[in-house]
Amino acid sequence: MAAAGSGWAAVCEKFRTARTLSAVESRKDPETEPYRSKYSARALLQEVKQLLSAAEEGGEARLLAVRRAVLEYELGVNHTDTEELSAGEEHLQRCTQLLQPHRLSPDCVSLYIQAQNNLGILWSERDEIKTAQTYLESAEALYNQYMKEDGNPPLDPSEHFMAEEEKLTDQERSKRFEKAYTHTLYYLAQVYQHLGMIEKAAQYCHTTLKRQLEYCGYYPVEWALNAATLSQYYLSKQCFMESRHCLAAASVIFSQAGQVPSAEDNETEQDQQDLRQRKAEIARCWIKYCLNLLQSARKLLEDNIGELDPDRQSELKAQRKKEEDEKEKGRKKVVLFGTSDICDSVLAMEEKVSSVYPLDFQEAREIFLVGQNYVQEAKEFFQVDGYVTDHIEIVQDHSALFKVLAFFEEDYERRCKMHKRRIDMLEPVCADLNPQYYLLISRQLQFELADTYYEMMDLKVAIGNRLEELDSHTIKKINSLAQLAIKYYELFLDSLRNPDKVFPEQLEEDVLRPAMVAKFHIARLYGKLITSDSKKQLENMQTSLEYYTFLVDYCDKYPDAVHAIETELELSREMVGLLPTRMERLRAKLCPFI
Amino acid sequence: SVEGDAIKVYVRVRPPSEGTVLTDGEQGLCLSVLSCNTIRLHSKPEPKIFTFDYVANMETTQESVFSSVAKSIVESCMNGYNGTIFAYGQTGSGKTFTMMGPSDSDNFTHSLRGVIPRSFEYLFFLIEREKEKAGSGKSFLCKCSFIEIYNEQIFDLLDSASAGLFLREHIKKGVFVDGAVEQVLSSAAEAYQVLTTGWRNRRVASTSMNRESSRSHAVFTITVESMEKNNETVNIRSSLLNLVDLAGSERQKDTHTEGLRLKEAGNINRSLSCLGQVITALVDVGNGKQRHVCYRDSKLTFLLRDSLGGNAKTCIIANVHPGSRCFGETLSTLNFAQRAKLIKNKAVVNEDTQGNVS
Repeated sequence: MAAAGSGWAAVCEKFRTARTLSAVESRKDPETEPYRSKYSARALLQEVKQLLSAAEEGGEARLLAVRRAVLEYELGVNHTDTEELSAGEEHLQRCTQLLQPHRLSPDCVSLYIQAQNNLGILWSERDEIKTAQTYLESAEALYNQYMKEDGNPPLDPSEHFMAEEEKLTDQERSKRFEKAYTHTLYYLAQVYQHLGMIEKAAQYCHTTLKRQLEYCGYYPVEWALNAATLSQYYLSKQCFMESRHCLAAASVIFSQAGQVPSAEDNETEQDQQDLRQRKAEIARCWIKYCLNLLQSARKLLEDNIGELDPDRQSELKAQRKKEEDEKEKGRKKVVLFGTSDICDSVLAMEEKVSSVYPLDFQEAREIFLVGQNYVQEAKEFFQVDGYVTDHIEIVQDHSALFKVLAFFEEDYERRCKMHKRRIDMLEPVCADLNPQYYLLISRQLQFELADTYYEMMDLKVAIGNRLEELDSHTIKKINSLAQLAIKYYELFLDSLRNPDKVFPEQLEEDVLRPAMVAKFHIARLYGKLITSDSKKQLENMQTSLEYYTFLVDYCDKYPDAVHAIETELELSREMVGLLPTRMERLRAKLCPFI
Repeated sequence: SVEGDAIKVYVRVRPPSEGTVLTDGEQGLCLSVLSCNTIRLHSKPEPKIFTFDYVANMETTQESVFSSVAKSIVESCMNGYNGTIFAYGQTGSGKTFTMMGPSDSDNFTHSLRGVIPRSFEYLFFLIEREKEKAGSGKSFLCKCSFIEIYNEQIFDLLDSASAGLFLREHIKKGVFVDGAVEQVLSSAAEAYQVLTTGWRNRRVASTSMNRESSRSHAVFTITVESMEKNNETVNIRSSLLNLVDLAGSERQKDTHTEGLRLKEAGNINRSLSCLGQVITALVDVGNGKQRHVCYRDSKLTFLLRDSLGGNAKTCIIANVHPGSRCFGETLSTLNFAQRAKLIKNKAVVNEDTQGNVS
């Protein structure tokens, strides 16, 4: 060795000090001199570089080149850390040039990948994401090639300045190398996200999570939240199996968080509180899972008027039988989380809820119940006192679960009772909520309550139609449900008025459709009110006509609105044409002699 | 006052500090004010024109800034609306001067006093006028609190002993800081007194805990409650006026204003802490599906949720430094302000009628 003996030891010592300064000391630097330690580290690295050049004569060229590359790398990172990007780039480029011929050998591969990672970061800071992408992708490719051709645990860059006896174990080497590669994937996930390559970004997030588990590089709570959030991405893609896998893994890993004492081990009340909140957050992801699975199944099963289509149902059931055998194959496509132990727990967790579309009430009910359990769990933390918005969102989900379950229920009376449950949970919060602070939620609740009453009224009408004739009790019920629906639609419409109680001339884009639907439904509701008093009936028809006319006039005035409510508009036009004749006939009956 | 509900954006250009020799570029300035609502940024190759609700040039007085920015917000506050005034801009762009006035004076009567003391004066002037008009039938109660958000933690500036307060929501009262001291105010001078005391706490904290004021957000909130007896009924109205001094914009890399840069894994061994943000972004690209994101908004956006796209009257004063050395920061401030204009607010009067008291 060229710089043998104490000289080399001193060099190593300097290098080590520089690294400590850079990584540890720099975090304690004062705000006024944020880079003090980094600058000292830089000076030391420069010295090491000098010493190295002095020893140049008898040395092995290759060894020297690699050592120089290590220094160039450290200097490159140092300069980028201190916001001197151009200088940093030069150093990193020199590093990769020195390593280029040896990049596939065990003593260089890790350093080369890390240099590429840093070049990626550097270019991203210049908002040149495409350039960053090329560096990171080439780092990824190099890792894969190395693992295919060699695969032995490669040297960690820091080892080039270590005495022989300090060198790392193979296990430690492998750990560090894999970590560097995990970072590559993690940066790529960000790059793809920035480039709008959503699917690829998700895939890289998934792989990063998977590798964190494999190499034990994770905080359970953070990991669980990431996995739970990723499950929501899969939901939006209707990939229920993947979504469930993420959630099951999140729940399993989260349960570790409570057991393992945290590093500091001073569990304050705050930490406990945080932990409970995270648990509730994961529960909320599960709720969404159940809800989406049910809603998607409903979409598959419903006919053109939104009722369960029995033909479609048996068709799908037959199809499912066929697919059951294929299921095992599909399973393998999913990127599974965890090694055997964790994996077993995750699979056990998955057993508890299906990931295939429910096709009848029984199957739907099982998913509903799982969702409802998570509603309770989430509510334990997100109580209305202190977490108004979150609490109400959970109540809304609960209501939505009932709504979709009702779709699968054949018995109209029981279906009606499910909607009544929704009313019972929504009405009290809606009454208490102050719209000055919660305008949006307040509107959502009013609208949902109106819709629910509307739906219940329709069910009562359907039940009534099966009878020989409507009894007075049913009529009263229908009318009162219709009145309540009208009340909440009106409350919603009132919330659109300005402080002087004037309804807006032109509706904002975000409330256009709900406002029009509210008007349309009110018109229909007045048409459905049952009365034996013909004068009253005439009045109701008149009101109904006014609301239909509103829709028609509005769309004549603002043709842009038409696209939002095409079907409703068509029906309204029809009614505006029909109603006056009907009213005329009724009037004629009332006063036959005029 | 039924004007649009969009957030109003005002830009104020400070004069370069005295004694600065303007060398580089065309007079060393990177922008010029074209009219009372347009500004031209001398970017290359093409200059860029920005339009705002109001642009204050270097000569604009404090009084005039107050009249065009804050006056109407204080007025609507008296009418039962919530109002918020933000100051935004890089460190040294004149935020504190605009909001407070010259830094060395606690002098409430100083001719250069800023938007905040002027708002106090105006608010209490309006209250007195209302009281005179309505006689004994109407009474007012004003309270204030003053908090600081630093590193996603909330501190009470009116109680320097406290630390780590929490945000909570109340079904009637909206978002509030649990445990924050509320001080009753009876005059503008008193309000100013409370403000300066709190402001001093902010400074003190900046040395003892090694934090820099520009790294924290300060939120001063006045609650105005009015009670009016009218025959059988009592009308209670309450509204909030938030005065917010945001951290220097150069410190906000972590918030949504950031550009494209990648988050580094850093030296901390295990945590790839921004992975969650990436995933959240994936989930956010919505298609109408029901989903839940596990990560909360920042404390500041949560606290001021009503003011940002909620139902309140809100304005942002974007402060910029005209020097060409500040070109990058100025561009990003103007871009931010441009985006802020797209946020819409819905204002709703808060009138809570409690019947038959007699």
